[in-house]
Amino acid sequence: MAFWRFLTSLKTCAWLGLAFCIAGAAGSVAMGRYPELFADMDAQVFAGWFARKGTADPGPTLWLYGLLLSTGLLAVNAACCTAERLVQIFRGTVTLRRLLPHAMHLAFLGVVLSHLASALYGDRIPGVAVPQGGFARVGGTGWVLRLDRFDSVMAPEGYPKDFSATVTLYRDTTPVARGVVRTNEPLFHEGYGIYIRNFGSTPWGAPYAVFDANRDPGATAILVASLLFTAANLLYLYPSRRTDA
Amino acid sequence: MVPDPPGTEAFDPALEGVHLILFWLALAAYGAEAGFRIGGVAPSTPWKSPLAAGVALHALFLALRWHLSGHAPMAGLFESLTVFSFCCALAGLLLCRGEETTAAWVPLSVLVLLPQAGAALIDKRLTPLYPALDTPWFATHVGFSFLGYGFFAAGLALGAVYLRSGGDAIYRAAGQSALYGFSAFSAGMVCGGIWAYYAWGSYWIWTPKEIWSVIVWIYFAALTHLKFIPAQDGWPGWTKRLEMGATAAGYVVMLLTFLGVSLLLRSSHTF
Repeated sequence: MAFWRFLTSLKTCAWLGLAFCIAGAAGSVAMGRYPELFADMDAQVFAGWFARKGTADPGPTLWLYGLLLSTGLLAVNAACCTAERLVQIFRGTVTLRRLLPHAMHLAFLGVVLSHLASALYGDRIPGVAVPQGGFARVGGTGWVLRLDRFDSVMAPEGYPKDFSATVTLYRDTTPVARGVVRTNEPLFHEGYGIYIRNFGSTPWGAPYAVFDANRDPGATAILVASLLFTAANLLYLYPSRRTDA
Repeated sequence: MVPDPPGTEAFDPALEGVHLILFWLALAAYGAEAGFRIGGVAPSTPWKSPLAAGVALHALFLALRWHLSGHAPMAGLFESLTVFSFCCALAGLLLCRGEETTAAWVPLSVLVLLPQAGAALIDKRLTPLYPALDTPWFATHVGFSFLGYGFFAAGLALGAVYLRSGGDAIYRAAGQSALYGFSAFSAGMVCGGIWAYYAWGSYWIWTPKEIWSVIVWIYFAALTHLKFIPAQDGWPGWTKRLEMGATAAGYVVMLLTFLGVSLLLRSSHTF
C-alpha cells in the first residue's frame, strides 16, 4: 500500500521532475566536455549507441542513467496516478474537465513508449553520397538510390536559396519510389524517410548530393499522442466555473 | 539551426528604414513605461499606457520585417530578443489587466524593456530566407516557444511581487502564467518535433538545446502539479510562497534554455 502511494504521489512526481532537471543539466555540460563520447549519438538509434558507449565510461554517462531512470519513473508515476484517479472519477461524477489531466498523462505515456520503440527498433543510415546520374546502396535496406537530377538556386552571396534532388529508389532493378527531395520535404518509403543533407561538386564537375535515410517506427504514434496532449491542454485552459481539476 | 547571415540582400531601403524606426519607437515606449512605473506613475489601465502603444508599434515592426525578409522574424539573436520582448509584453497585458495586479507591472515593464534594449545593441540586418526556414513549422515552433517564454517572464514578475506583498489576485495570475506558459511551450515543442522530423529526419536529436527544452517542460509540468499537493500531506515546507518562488525561478530555467545554451554550451540548435 505504501509502495502504491509512493507510485501515485504528486510528491514523487515533484522529486522525479527535479531529478530529471539535474540530470539533464549535467548532461548538457557533459556533452560539450566529452565530444568523443557523445558526438555520434544521432548517427544511430539510441539503443545501438547506448549498447556501444553507455557503459564504456561510467562517469561521463552517469547523467544519462539519471535521465532515463527519472523519465521511466515519471511515466510509471503518471500511469499509476491516472489508473487510480480514473477509478475514482468513474465511481463518482464524470466530467470532461476531470478527465483532461489524465488524457494528458496518457499522451505523455504514449510519447515515452513510442520514443522507446523508435530508440530500439529505428534505423539511421547517414551519409549516402550519390553523384548525379549515379547509384548508391542505402545501408542494409536492400535499396539502391539513384540521383536522377540535382538543382540548386544560389544567391549572389554564395548561399543556397533552394536546392532539390530528383531521386529514384530501386530494389534490385525495379524502381519502387521516385520523388523530389528538398529541405523540409523528404521522400518517404516503407517507413524510411530519405533526407537531403548536403551537396557539392565532384572533382570532375558533376553535382552530387548526400542523403540520410532514417526510420522512426514510433514517430506516427508520437504525433498522435502529441496532438492528443495539445487538444486536452487547450480544452483544460478553457475557463470553467468548477474548480474540480 | 540558423546559419550566420551570409551578407546583405537587396531589400527595399525605404521600408527597411521605416521598420527600424518602428523598432526604436517601440523601444522608446517600453522605456517610457518602465520609467513611469519605477517612478510610481501608473496609467488607469494597461491598455492606455506607453506599453500598449509600444506593443502596437512592435507588432507593426514585426509584420513589416516578416514581409521584408520573407520569413517569420524569429531567426538570429536580434529577432529572438525582440520577439521575446514582444511576447513578454503580450503575456503581461493578458495576465495583469486588473487593478489588483498593477504592482507586477514595475518588474514586468523592466523585463519587457531589457530584451528590446539588448536587441538594440545587435546587428539588425535582415536575414534572407534560408531553405530550412521556408516552412510554417518554423514560425509556429518558435512563436509558441517565445509566447511560453513571455508567460514565464510574467511569472517572475508576479512571483516576485507575491513574495514581497502577497495577494490572491497576484497568486492566481502567477499560477496562470505557469499554466499558460507551459501550454504554449508544449505546443511549440510539438511543432518543433514535426519540423525536425521533416527537416532533420528525426523529431529528437541529442543536443543541449533539446535537453534543456525538455528540462523547461518537465520543470513547469511539475510546477503546475504542485498546487494540488494537500497542505497536510507532509510536503516539506511547500507553501504558496515556495510555489511562487519556484514560479519566479522558472524564468532562470527558461533563460538558461533560451540564451544560456546558445551562448555558453556547444549546440547545433542555436543562433
